[in-house]
Amino acid sequence: MKLTYALTALGLAVATPLPALAATIQAVMYKNPQCSCCEAYATYLEHNGFKVEIKPVNNLSQISSNAGVPADLEGCHTMMVDGYVVDGLVPVDIVKKLLTERPAIAGITLAGMPAGAPGMGGEKSETWTVYAFTKDGKGPTVYASE
Amino acid sequence: MNSASNRFLSRRGFLAATAGFAMSLPMRPGRASAVDERSIKAAPSQARVAGSDRPPASAWAYNDTVPGPVLRVRQGQPVRIAVENGLAEDTTVHWHGIRLPNAMDGVPGLTQPPIAPEASFTYEFTPPDAGTFWYHPHADSLVQLGRGLAGMLIVEEAEPVAFDRDLIWLLQDWRLAADGEIAGGFGSAMDAAMSGRVGNLVTINGTVPADQAVRAGERVRLRLANAALARIMALRFEGHRPIVLAIDGQPCEPHEPEDGRLVLGPAMRIDVALDMRGEPGGRYRVTDDFYDGLAYTLTTLAYDNAPPLRTRSLDAPPALPRNPLPEPNLDNAIRQEIVLQGGMVGGGKLAGVGGMMGMAMPGMKGAAAWAINGTSMIGDGHAGMMPQFMLRRGVTCRLTLRNETAWWHPMHVHGFSLLLLSRNGVPAPHRQWQDTVLLAPKDTVECAFVADNPGDWMLHCHVADHQMAGLMTVFRVT
Repeated sequence: MKLTYALTALGLAVATPLPALAATIQAVMYKNPQCSCCEAYATYLEHNGFKVEIKPVNNLSQISSNAGVPADLEGCHTMMVDGYVVDGLVPVDIVKKLLTERPAIAGITLAGMPAGAPGMGGEKSETWTVYAFTKDGKGPTVYASE
Repeated sequence: MNSASNRFLSRRGFLAATAGFAMSLPMRPGRASAVDERSIKAAPSQARVAGSDRPPASAWAYNDTVPGPVLRVRQGQPVRIAVENGLAEDTTVHWHGIRLPNAMDGVPGLTQPPIAPEASFTYEFTPPDAGTFWYHPHADSLVQLGRGLAGMLIVEEAEPVAFDRDLIWLLQDWRLAADGEIAGGFGSAMDAAMSGRVGNLVTINGTVPADQAVRAGERVRLRLANAALARIMALRFEGHRPIVLAIDGQPCEPHEPEDGRLVLGPAMRIDVALDMRGEPGGRYRVTDDFYDGLAYTLTTLAYDNAPPLRTRSLDAPPALPRNPLPEPNLDNAIRQEIVLQGGMVGGGKLAGVGGMMGMAMPGMKGAAAWAINGTSMIGDGHAGMMPQFMLRRGVTCRLTLRNETAWWHPMHVHGFSLLLLSRNGVPAPHRQWQDTVLLAPKDTVECAFVADNPGDWMLHCHVADHQMAGLMTVFRVT
């Protein structure tokens, strides 16, 4: 499964050679100190051109809320990358799409911890909807599906 | 010292304790009648949790103080405590760890009707056990406790026990927003399904800790109570060797904690004998390193420059007198098992709570995130809660607590103290009795108690978010 994502990311990188994505992308991940799947997700990102600084925090829901993530769409960690919030186990091709398109949003989130998502075990059993959110009070919108 | 339990801690008391070598005794108020009368009122208030130089936070308090007043009562003496509700919502008070009549236990719906706004209720009981206990609401627990409603309940030994000083550290954990107010967002699904609402400011006796003034050579009885919603603490006393005298109010064999760490789950208490063996003028940190990567200095023991109170070190502290707990009869015990299930796990589902696989966090919108033996009781307690098991009065119950989850849980049993038998198959040392047993992920703990007190008793996780989201059950003693 990770391989699939790696290949997708590679395909994306090859198909759209963007200077911004050629360099390592710096990210800061806030995570619960007692939860381990986020670290697997960070490793997955690092295999895909990111450098992830992991910061364990005890008030993750507060950080997530302050970052504008809607309460009913929280992922299991919150990541700051290149001016955006990426919450939860968002596949890397969608993260790179965000950083390439640079829409006027606060960030994107994949809610919960769906089986088969990067960093999780298990098989993908459903379509994942990644939502875009803003901090201006508007409701979330679908950013991507996979 | 930053602990204001009574006049014993005043400057005068400090001087009295340091003036001579004599051990002083805890003071207690004179009593005009046989029944000790107290009153507390829960109401909105202000609390300077972040220190006197910061604006106060809007809090809820007993008698306008955070934490509430220290209630010092005496073992074996009846006490009557009138509780007035000045909040805009129902409340109750639970006298945590006290073995008392079921109707005085403070669980709304289960043991009493909740105390409505502007109403009051008088609790009456005679504490059989001396030790360190505490009181807190059992209605809307997450919010009421999280906004500051908690206080220490000290039951003094019938025969006083001598220390140079008797100190209280009631530890609370606050989640403050950037403006210094208590952050909203109580009951977030993430907190509910993970480690609970852990905060960003730990206070001792209601304020961010300043230095703790101590005197070389003195022997202190330090009563630690974790009144946090969710934060587990592991305290280390740099340069000192605290000796555990009691856990959850119940004396044990005096011992040094494993690895020098005093681990306190929410609602747990530990009494230690702390010999001030540092140098006059010295400074020694008290740290909490429970969470990986998040260790911090809680406070500092700041020694007075005065010469040591005594020139020779004291003998090991003697054990505290035992409380009159009924001895379990393990040869003839009824076995019961409580299995903790649920919470966030790899795979994105709740173990044992119906396989939550959807897009949202488990525990969303007040739904269950946890279960005990496959059943989720959510909230604070209510009428008609069916007991998980029944015990005939007088039998010994050998209770297995098995944590199948990936998270820590301080499991609190109302109305009884449990004798710890083993943890993960290893016999439990030090003859510990506890009312709140901390389970690490995947831990199995065996304990025993005599079901000598009739009624419907609650058994729940004391991480308030976990309790509210299903980690709660009831058993009945008939």
